[in-house]
Amino acid sequence: MSGTPRLYPGIGPDERTSFQPYSAFDVPEDLRELHGRYDVEATARRVRNFRYTHEWIAMILGGWIATIPELPVKTGLGKIVWESAQAADALGKRLPELRAGRNAATASQPPNQGYADLIQEVARPESPTDTIEKIAGMFDVLMPHLVEVYEETIRATDAICDAPTIELLDGAVRHLRRHVAWGGDVLARLCDVGGDAARERRRARAAEVRARLEACGGVTGTLPGRDA
Amino acid sequence: MRRFISHDELARDSRFIRQDNSLATVLSLLPDDVDQVVEAFERLDPMIAVSVRGTAAEPLYEEYGPAFGLVVLNEPLEPDAPGIETRLVMRMHGIFLGELQALEGAGRSLWDFPDAPWEFKMNMARQCWDEARHVQIYEKLLERLEGKIGMFPESTFLFECCCHDDPAMRVAGVNRGLEGLACDVFRDMIRYAEKTGDDVMKQAVDYVLADELTHVRFGSEWVRAFTAGDPERYERVQDFRRQVDKQFSFGGSRSDRGDAAIPIARDDRKEAGFTEDELDELAQLSAGGPSRETMRKAAQILRERHHARRRAASEGAPA
Repeated sequence: MSGTPRLYPGIGPDERTSFQPYSAFDVPEDLRELHGRYDVEATARRVRNFRYTHEWIAMILGGWIATIPELPVKTGLGKIVWESAQAADALGKRLPELRAGRNAATASQPPNQGYADLIQEVARPESPTDTIEKIAGMFDVLMPHLVEVYEETIRATDAICDAPTIELLDGAVRHLRRHVAWGGDVLARLCDVGGDAARERRRARAAEVRARLEACGGVTGTLPGRDA
Repeated sequence: MRRFISHDELARDSRFIRQDNSLATVLSLLPDDVDQVVEAFERLDPMIAVSVRGTAAEPLYEEYGPAFGLVVLNEPLEPDAPGIETRLVMRMHGIFLGELQALEGAGRSLWDFPDAPWEFKMNMARQCWDEARHVQIYEKLLERLEGKIGMFPESTFLFECCCHDDPAMRVAGVNRGLEGLACDVFRDMIRYAEKTGDDVMKQAVDYVLADELTHVRFGSEWVRAFTAGDPERYERVQDFRRQVDKQFSFGGSRSDRGDAAIPIARDDRKEAGFTEDELDELAQLSAGGPSRETMRKAAQILRERHHARRRAASEGAPA
């Protein structure tokens, strides 16, 4: 059989295959390096923080549906509730993969008490007159903050080792951007009807929630671009 | 945001007005006796008169008196039945409101029970999206019939009956009682759409019915999960479900009786997880109440008295 290219290596030095020796990153060219800001434990902690937030978003929006008089807002929230719950579920399923325990899939954790209090503050408006305050706190502040943190995490985590987290966050960002755009459209319409007073309510509520978010460091306890 | 809101706190825009829920409760408790049905509606007449003012139900009230609801509820939907267009719009409007309250109920189940198992929250979240789509679907179907949101008063009776503070009772009420009733009503609507050749309505309602079976299954599974190892609690939950089912039978209008306007959708309910025993029990508890003949006689008397009062009023004499 000599002269026929080998399909599989043998045991001797002259029993190699003739296939070209590419690196795992050559075809197509992959410039990623083994480098990330977060180790396994830190990523698990962040995923627990993210899951905590999505679980509460689903619960808060679910509770608000009955308290909001605008019909399209009620029905629009229905889908966002489901997508937020799905995000929490997917993040939870990542936890056992990060050595957080086999039963960790439903583990949610705020980064600190300040953030837990912030989430309750976002949930606070309940009167039917408070649609602007509800939507502004959630869609003008909390959700854009999540987009910012998830995109920073995608950039900073190890692109190869932690690729499953990146995939999850990538999907979450796609949904969150759509939710933020929807919330922006709702607020724009409510402000068109309500005039300057409504616009001021939106601005004031967003400023109030943003100040608390900055004070507690946001979803991970450290705002993007600021080291702990 | 508080947990556990009352049914009268459901937020609505300016198109909606409310109806006193006691009407539905009274209807569910009536015996098969013409005089007692008449007396009950006479007692409720002032409240009914107020609730229909300025709505599309006002002409029905003027024509039939306080028992116009019996004419709508008690008679089966048939394409050539008298007043079918109005009755169909009224039923569609009622279903739209039921979906709206189901959406609100599912959402509140997420908020009211923060310590519930995660899978429960996932099921309720999914139900929120489904019910939101149902609201949109029935808004479209209502528009096809030239109906408008708010054209009839809203009874928040469904939310009031179902939304218990105990999660096991909540799912028994919303997911088995309310969604079970939805199975019966939607199967009836599909039958009606088949008779009239309305393929758009038939397909849309069929999709909604498929979703409702899933929601009933959620209920069946969570009642078992919440009451596991606690037979006493299970019995309390079953008692609550029986009470809701009795109220949602509207005095036998939804039942297995031969004269029922809305038959129990046994096959759909079985697919959703109801057992034969539960269905037999439902048939039994919904069979009580006034027969269609009793309702017809009572409606006739109430109509005559109503017109007599109107004549007396227009002639300036006491009725």
